[in-house]
Order: sequence, then C-alpha cells, then structure tokens
Amino acid sequence: MSRRRILAITRRLLQQFRHDRRTLALLFGAPLIILALLGYILRGGGDVPAMGVVNLDEGPLGALVASTLESSRTVAASRMSRQEADAKLHAGDLAGYVLLPADFTNRAQQQHAVVLGVELEGTEPALSGTIMQAVGQAFTALASQAGGVRFATQVSYLHGGANFDTLDYFGAAFIGLVVFFLVFVVTTVAFLRERSQGTLERLMASPLRRPEIVLGYMLGFTVLALVQAIEVLAFSLLLLHVHNSGNVGLIFLLEALMAIVAVNLGIFLSMFARTEFQAVQFIPLVIVPQMLLSGIIFPVTTEPGPLQVLSRLLPLTYAVTGMRDIMIKGADLSWSSLQLDLAVVLGFAILVIIAGATTLRRRIA
Amino acid sequence: MASEDFAVEVDGVVKRFGSLHALAGVSLRIRQGEVYGLLGPNGAGKTTLIRSLVGLVKPEEGSVTVLNRRMPNLDVLAHVGYMTQQAALYPDLTVEENLRFFAAINGVHGGIREALEVVGLWDRRGSIVSSLSGGMRTRCSLACALVHKPELLLLDEPTVGVDPLLRMQLWDRFQKMAREGTTILVSSHVMDEAERCDRLGLIRFGRLLAEGTVAQLQARAGVNRLEDAFLKLSEASAA
Repeated sequence: MSRRRILAITRRLLQQFRHDRRTLALLFGAPLIILALLGYILRGGGDVPAMGVVNLDEGPLGALVASTLESSRTVAASRMSRQEADAKLHAGDLAGYVLLPADFTNRAQQQHAVVLGVELEGTEPALSGTIMQAVGQAFTALASQAGGVRFATQVSYLHGGANFDTLDYFGAAFIGLVVFFLVFVVTTVAFLRERSQGTLERLMASPLRRPEIVLGYMLGFTVLALVQAIEVLAFSLLLLHVHNSGNVGLIFLLEALMAIVAVNLGIFLSMFARTEFQAVQFIPLVIVPQMLLSGIIFPVTTEPGPLQVLSRLLPLTYAVTGMRDIMIKGADLSWSSLQLDLAVVLGFAILVIIAGATTLRRRIA
Repeated sequence: MASEDFAVEVDGVVKRFGSLHALAGVSLRIRQGEVYGLLGPNGAGKTTLIRSLVGLVKPEEGSVTVLNRRMPNLDVLAHVGYMTQQAALYPDLTVEENLRFFAAINGVHGGIREALEVVGLWDRRGSIVSSLSGGMRTRCSLACALVHKPELLLLDEPTVGVDPLLRMQLWDRFQKMAREGTTILVSSHVMDEAERCDRLGLIRFGRLLAEGTVAQLQARAGVNRLEDAFLKLSEASAA
C-alpha cells in the first residue's frame, strides 16, 4: 500500500469533478431541490381533502361532531344532504363523507356507544387516511364533552375497499412508473452511445432524414418497451394479484403511450449530454420530481397550489391517474376523465417526438 | 472545363468556430476518378472541410457542390462514402451486421461480401466488432464506407494506427478503385502516402496553401522531398 498512489487516485477524481461543473451542480443542487420539494409538498399548506358531513341527528352531539369536523384543519368539511354527498363522492369531488344517524345523540347519551357510517371514495389511500384521522379526532373531542362514549365506524368504499391492501393502491401507479423509468434510462444511454461512438456522425452523412432516425429509434425501443409492459402487467396481475377492475387492453394502451413518451424524452434529453455519465444525471432530474409530484404517493389535490400546476404539466401525473381510474375504478373509454388522461399522454408523446426530431437537426448543423 | 467533370467543387468556404477560423476561404476542385490528397498538420481544417462536403458543417460563406449537387443535399449522400477518423461502428454487432446496416441506410442490399473481401474481412464477418483489433476495425469501417459503391469516397485519415503492410494494401485498393472511376478524397498528415495521390492540396490554418501533383509541388518549392516542399510552402505563405 502506498499512500501516494492512493492519494493520486483521490486527487484525480476530485480534479475530474472540478472540470465537470454539471455533475458538481447536480451533486450539491439536486438533494436540496428534492428535499425542498418534499418539504413544500408536506408543509406548504396545500389543499386538504374535501369531505362531507351528513348530519341527520337533531340533538346537540351530532352538531358538535359536525362543527368539530368543520373547524378541523386537516380536512375541508362541509355539511350537505346525503344525496348531495353521494353525488359529489361519485364525481370525485369528495374524498369521503361521514353520516351521523338520526339517533346519534340519543344513543350516545343512553347507550354510551355510537356507530357511524363513513363512506370513502377510496382511490387514494392518503386521502382516506386523513379523513379517518379527522373523524377519530372529532370523536375524541366528543368523548371529552359527553364523557365515556365509545364509538365505532362502519366504513364503506366506493372504490377499492377493506380487501384492498397497499399494493392494490400503489400497484396501479407503479406499473406505469416502472415502464416509464426503465425505458427512459435505456433510450437515453443508447442514443448517447450513438453519439459517443461516432456512428451518429455517419448516420448524418447518409441519406437518412432526421425524422427517420427518430422514428426508427422510437419503433425499436417501443417494441422492447411493449414486451416489458406485457411482462410487468402479467407479473402484477397474475402473480402478485394486484387488483384490477378494468380492461387489461386499456392498461396496456396507456403503458404503450407512456413508453413512447419515455423513448422520445430519452432521445430529446440525450442531445443535452455529452457523455453517458451526464445522461445518467438526468434520471434524478426527470424521475424524482415526477415521483413526488405525479400523485403516486402524495395526492395531487392536496399539494400546495403552485405544485398542483407543476403536477399537471408532468406526463406521469396523467398516467398515474389513468392507471388508477382503470384498475381501481374500472374506468372504460366512455369515462371523460380517462379520455382526458389518454389524450394528454398522447399529446405529450407527440410533443416529445417533435422536440426530439428538431433538436437532433439543430445539434448537428 | 465543364463542371460535370468535377466530383467536388468547393468555392470560397469560410467556417468559424468561435474566433477560430477552421476554414478561411477554401476553394478546390476534384476531378472524377482522381485520388486527391489533403495534406496538413493536426488542426489544419482537414476534417472540417470533409465534414462540409457531406453537409455536417454549414459554411458561413461560399458554396460546396458534390456530384453536381449543391450541398446540403441528402439524396446525393447515397453516392458518397464517408469514413470518419474514429472507426465509427456498432461495437455490439458483428462485422456483417454493421455492413448490412450501413448498406440499408444508403438504400442498397447487396455488396456486403464484395466490400468485406476488399478489406480482407470476409472470414471475420461473424465476429463481434468489439472483439476485433484496431486495424481490423479500421478495415471494417472502410468496408462500411464502401458497401454502397459510392462515386465519391471521403476518407478522413484512414491509415492512422494501421500497420505499414496493411497501409500499402489499402492504398493499392484506393488506386484500383480510382482507376475504376471512384473519386477519392483522402486526408493525411503522413507524407509518404501523399506520393500515391494524383494531386495534393496542402492545407494549414484553414487555408489551401498550394495545390498540384507531387512533382509540381516539389518544383514550385525547389526541393526534392515532399516534406521539405510542404514546410517551405507553408513558410512562404505565412510570410
């Protein structure tokens, strides 16, 4: 062991980073951006889930629970009729509602035990959890007022349900994410290799048109991506038994569109990298914000306003919503929300194809 | 002379990269079936000139005409073979797969065996390119530039890193192809190769300093060795 030789390697490594400003910026900038984003999502004072309170009780205790919920900061509760609550729940405007039955006060005072119904929309576990928490807090307040009231909730789900586990909720979103992520990485590196090994120069000195190059790449990687999508889907549905209420063909269509977006985003971004090392740096920049903002973990509706705008600019957001609509809600092509998701993802695909083709032309001239 | 006798016409081409004049007003003409050698030190502008012939460099001034078509023109490129300085190949593919690909993008299907026999790689057609030696890769790269039987062959320092025996064989090939009608532009900084060119252009600092046959250049400089002629002519033009 020679200390000098070891230090020679260390020094050379640090020198390389000094010459590679972009890597340095990424190394020291990206963690701050990601943490700041996370902090903003969680503490930025975003919208809280909307819930309904249907109070059929005429006594004081029902009113107490209702007003406790209304003044809660973790949910945006408002009183409404049962019909209104049901309609809004189906439209996706409410994450859930609580039903206080007509004999609520009586039972609480005489039997010291109440059962109330909670109806949840159920697509996003984070929202359901927040509502159940708020209901629990309201009852703690009630118990301290009325003294020793035991309560039980009878929860029912519009979508999903008690038989859903975490994988059923997240599986749908992750199927979209996995395909998008891997296809993006593979394309970026492959296209960059074309540049670094000099073959792109040769392609450019041939009768090939730029759109032909982009389309050829797109087809090649799309074939790979579709095989991968089939594999992921089959594994998720047949072996992991991730819940699916929708049409497998639709899931595949959405996955295929996402794969095309990923391929062309990869081609487009690889124009801005000189080495494979630099290309890999796009991964945290492209993937991590999308993971945080696309609603996979944190519901888009509860993000702070500016982040919601950003979320709606990202293709993965629409893919995740679409996947959940299909797999959890059983959406088909007649659903306007699914039509929108598919249209937006298709729009992104066209946009990145054009972006890829034009950038290729500019970078070569 | 009628213009159709020229395979390449470069007229007053200027190209800057920042403040560097890569090409500072170059004009040259290459006749059909001629082996034209572009001689000059590293950084003289040889590669930039060749890249401008295939439309990869867009001149700021001047014009480039290749096979009677004003560049940039993608269709004419099907008749041009371009061998880059670096052996630009797909390392994961076999020799034959590489040739098939470059044939296809130039719109031809056959000619693979012929091209590989020219460079003596037909027996190695099944080898993965990354397993080849440097010299074999250069030959494979040349085969890829030949496979579509181009009328004009642009070779950017094709013999760098090639052993003397192979170099001699390659030059025999170039001369044979020229006799069969192919126009060849070859860049080099090796003087002994220059002797095998029909005509030479001496390029330095982005300018064409002198042009002519070996004998003409030697006579003009008043020396017997081409190397001396090159040095003398570049000094003369710098002064």
